[in-house]
Amino acid sequence: MASQLALKSRIASTQSLGKIFNAQEMIASSHIAKARAVALDAKPYTDAIFDAVQALVAHTNIDHPIVMKHDEDNPRVAVLALTSDRGMAGAYTSSIIRETEALLAGLDAKGKQPQLYVYGRRGISYYKYRNRNVVDTWEGETDHPGVAVAESISKTLLDAYMAPARDGGVCELYIVYTEFINMVVQKVRVLRMLPVELVQGGQEADGSTESVQEAVDDSDHGQPKDGQETAKTGTAPARAGEVTPLYTFEPSPGKVLDMILPKYIQSRIHECLLTAAASETASRQNAMHTATDNAHNLIDDLTRKLNASRQASITQELTEIIGSADALNKEEE
Amino acid sequence: MASGEIMQVNIVAADHPVWSGKAQAVMVPALEGSMGILPNHEPVLSLLEQGTVTLTDDQSQSHSFEVSDGFISFDSNKLTIAVEHGQVKDSAKQ
Repeated sequence: MASQLALKSRIASTQSLGKIFNAQEMIASSHIAKARAVALDAKPYTDAIFDAVQALVAHTNIDHPIVMKHDEDNPRVAVLALTSDRGMAGAYTSSIIRETEALLAGLDAKGKQPQLYVYGRRGISYYKYRNRNVVDTWEGETDHPGVAVAESISKTLLDAYMAPARDGGVCELYIVYTEFINMVVQKVRVLRMLPVELVQGGQEADGSTESVQEAVDDSDHGQPKDGQETAKTGTAPARAGEVTPLYTFEPSPGKVLDMILPKYIQSRIHECLLTAAASETASRQNAMHTATDNAHNLIDDLTRKLNASRQASITQELTEIIGSADALNKEEE
Repeated sequence: MASGEIMQVNIVAADHPVWSGKAQAVMVPALEGSMGILPNHEPVLSLLEQGTVTLTDDQSQSHSFEVSDGFISFDSNKLTIAVEHGQVKDSAKQ
């Protein structure tokens, strides 16, 4: 059995660790409220951009590289992994890295050449240590990402995407991030950000006017599940060549597209960063909560051992005293 | 314009909502010059340049906002002004 002194020092160190974990937990829970407020503040802007893109999709014939990349034989794809700057967040970064590795392996198997972009110090050091090629990295503020970092990330990735294939451009962009579902559940997701998938465009835009007309008829008769979508399809046929008179785009639909789509990407990326930040904080709080509990259990355990060893030493001392007294008494007799 | 007519206006910046309420008239710095919007305007999506948005709210008070780089979208009597950066310039101006 360990000595009492050793047990005491272990208890003391576990207690101070427990205090640190507890403080970290409280810090994390105060950050969550903040992260949630930031996410809520950014929501109206994201919604506005989303609505604008929806309007563009419904009323114009979108032909922009962001929606449809033309050089399909380009094997390069970009993968952005959102990790955390600091540890103490449980499996947060390691699950992102695991998912990223799986995605990279899957893309490799399909004959693509994934190019890695990493956000967050933990992820950067992981890949640096393994001498992996990382095209670009960002760090700092993973628990409260501002507009600036979202702007820088989306600019770099859009530049890579818009560059022609022979200049090292990429044809797709995937983002691996953690979605915040609630305080207890956060889920790692892989999102194909580029090219943008438009709910409306797609097969209708390719088809002739007739097929569009048919599609409209279909949606008029059946599928009442989504009134909004049906309404949009109804206005679609008029876009055959140009904009419908229902909606004016100034200065011109092309210019509006040129400006709004990059903004859309940026706000989507910002959204991913924000939900990742909230997840990071939540998983840090969970990890710290578990760590505090464990510290308390360990302290209980060690205290019990300390008591047992103290009791054992007292018993031993008593036996020794009684034994020696007995021996003295026997000698006197 | 019938003086009773109003529209819903939302001004949002990338990281926070700036102003929201009802207005009688709004002036925005569109890319091709200043643009005035009254209630029941036709649906429009227009780009903005850096400048000042001025609006008259339903109490006939005027508000000004510094905005940069964004767009407006007007649809079913709802005006959304989405900008990268925006802030109240002189909110209590009579």
